[in-house]
Amino acid sequence: MADRATFIATVTASLGRSEVLAPPSDTATAAFDDTATAKSNAEQAMATASERSSELAERMAEAAAVIGWKVHRVANQEDAANVIASICEQKSATSVLRSTHEVLTQVGVDAAVTNTGASIGTTEHSGENSSDLVDQSKTAAFKADIGITGVDYAIAETGTVVLHPRSGLSRLVSLAPPTHIAVLRPGEVLESLDELFAMERNDFSSGELAGSMNLISGPSKTADIEGTTVTGIHGPLEAHLIILKYD
Amino acid sequence: MKPLTVNFRSKAAETLQDAQIQQSIEHVYTGFFKGRLEAAGDTPEWEELRTKGKAIKDHTIAHLDYYLGQLADNVEKNGGSVFFAEDAAEARKHIIDLAHKREIKTVIKSKSMVSEEMGLAEAMNDEGFETIETDLGEYIIQLAGETPYHLIAPAVHKSRTDVAKLLDDDFKEGDPVPDATELTMMAREKLRGVFERADMSVTGVNFAVAESGSIALVTNEGNGRMSTTVPRVHVAVMGMEKIIPSIQDLSTMLRILIRSATGQRISTYVTMVNGKRKPDEEEGPEEFHLVIMNNGRQKLLADPQMRESLNCIRCGACLNACPVYRKVGGHAYGWVYPGPIGAIVTPVLTGLKDASNLPNASSLCGACHDACPVKINIPRMLLELRYRTAEGSSDIEERTSGAKERGIWKAWRIGMMGRKRFDWAARLSRIVLLPIARNGWLKKTPPPISGWTSTRDFPLTASKSLKSRLSSRAKKAK
Repeated sequence: MADRATFIATVTASLGRSEVLAPPSDTATAAFDDTATAKSNAEQAMATASERSSELAERMAEAAAVIGWKVHRVANQEDAANVIASICEQKSATSVLRSTHEVLTQVGVDAAVTNTGASIGTTEHSGENSSDLVDQSKTAAFKADIGITGVDYAIAETGTVVLHPRSGLSRLVSLAPPTHIAVLRPGEVLESLDELFAMERNDFSSGELAGSMNLISGPSKTADIEGTTVTGIHGPLEAHLIILKYD
Repeated sequence: MKPLTVNFRSKAAETLQDAQIQQSIEHVYTGFFKGRLEAAGDTPEWEELRTKGKAIKDHTIAHLDYYLGQLADNVEKNGGSVFFAEDAAEARKHIIDLAHKREIKTVIKSKSMVSEEMGLAEAMNDEGFETIETDLGEYIIQLAGETPYHLIAPAVHKSRTDVAKLLDDDFKEGDPVPDATELTMMAREKLRGVFERADMSVTGVNFAVAESGSIALVTNEGNGRMSTTVPRVHVAVMGMEKIIPSIQDLSTMLRILIRSATGQRISTYVTMVNGKRKPDEEEGPEEFHLVIMNNGRQKLLADPQMRESLNCIRCGACLNACPVYRKVGGHAYGWVYPGPIGAIVTPVLTGLKDASNLPNASSLCGACHDACPVKINIPRMLLELRYRTAEGSSDIEERTSGAKERGIWKAWRIGMMGRKRFDWAARLSRIVLLPIARNGWLKKTPPPISGWTSTRDFPLTASKSLKSRLSSRAKKAK
């Protein structure tokens, strides 16, 4: 069996060296940026997101529509609740799952869903981690008709919703149900992937990197049969993006 | 996977004569090809991104030993385990042993070319684990008992009728053929139950981030997300070259990978996981294992002429751009990696002796070099491998070029070394060939050029060279 030392020694020898050398600082990669640089890059990204929030929200709406999100621009929280209710009715949903994003409480999503006759729940374990609870949450996600989340960030360049799974935001709520609804507030939209990964780098260098991250860009797709693009294979068949104009 | 590179000629001929496959592959490749050009055209900083991508990979590969150590340290710091596998057999054994120890029943696989090197799905099924490919294309290929045809579109050669026969036991010849959406929904239904009951997943790795021990997975279907979420054990397998130093480098690498692969600005899902489920997460695997495999890559690394091929990010753009691949198809190349990139890495990884036809399956048009998001100079390496085949190398003890071939090239070299000699040689060739030409074309010739004209016509040397025609035109114009 190869152990790590032997494996790496082979690589070192193949590189024509006799010992592992630490690479010299190289501007090609961000690996050598110090904590202060990472922090200022991240602050810059957040500043842009807030200064240009309405422009970036509009660009997000356009990019999202191109890649298959059903985009709903709404004027206020009440309208957002109405859109959610009408999707529930349209899908004849009986079971809805949601994250604990603040915006969903602001919108009043629980009332909007229960008024249509569907049940709504969260996947929060309240800090407990037994494998029974994990299994329960999986089963609930696979049974749910609709999953509703806020967004942690969005990316205007690509029409992408970014989620960092954590307590109150399961990995499956945006994946297993056949319909996913994401609710976005202005100010949450970053300009491009550069800004997102600048912020991730800062989280990393300050020791706060999340356990995982999902970039979601529209409904699940495949083109594996005769090159024809079909929406909906393993993930949601339908993805709705509700963009709130005002907080 | 056992290399079958020696069958290149017969497999290529088979594909060339299969009208149905020719039809089904052509429009997919051109679709990818056009998509990539459009995506690159829409991206004003495209060339800058390629330069950056190449710089990141050049730097990483030049310090691969350091970054491998850093990656392993950080994966372990995140609570994962790392296994270094010298070859495919070691990797396969490690994963199978792990599955036995954890009493695994169902394994879901997402697409991974490295796992194809291991022949992993087949080996795990043989060991009694229900092992199911979850990328739709790979699933179709698995049902058909074949190997992938393309890095990105594994089932590109299958028609809807073929797929219907595989997915629906009741489907008979002559039944109305379901459309792509209906077939996709049939597969969705079949695979959802599998996802729910899977207790282990095996995924590839698009990028492994050394500084944080993270892995990034890019999919459109969502199977990568399912695989990193549902089963209690997640095993990620990677070739040792798949490292990048920093999380921040992902923005460049994702942009060039995705645009080059499918022409999208972004794939539907990009998933980054830093090991197993964190205490505050609702679900996710209890165990994370990273398997880093060498399997001959140290030969590419140690070879200054071939090292650049380790920059490859497996986007498939060179395949779609290659006029030869687009005709002879993916199976002709006889191992895991088809197309231009396969033609340079397969001979080194599996042995040049059997694979010597691969570097010759190119017109050296350079389309692969233009298409490559990290600017790998594939044509240069194709020529290098042709040289080694002809002149002998550590792999091939005897030079394969015969005395006759070497004589022809020697004469060619002498003839090309001066203008006067060239003119003489051209005139001489016309005198020799004129008696066997018909209307200015050579359709059938005696040896040694009969091989050329058995499949294509060769034009007779013109009576006047371009140079003399131009100079007589210049004189007339005065």
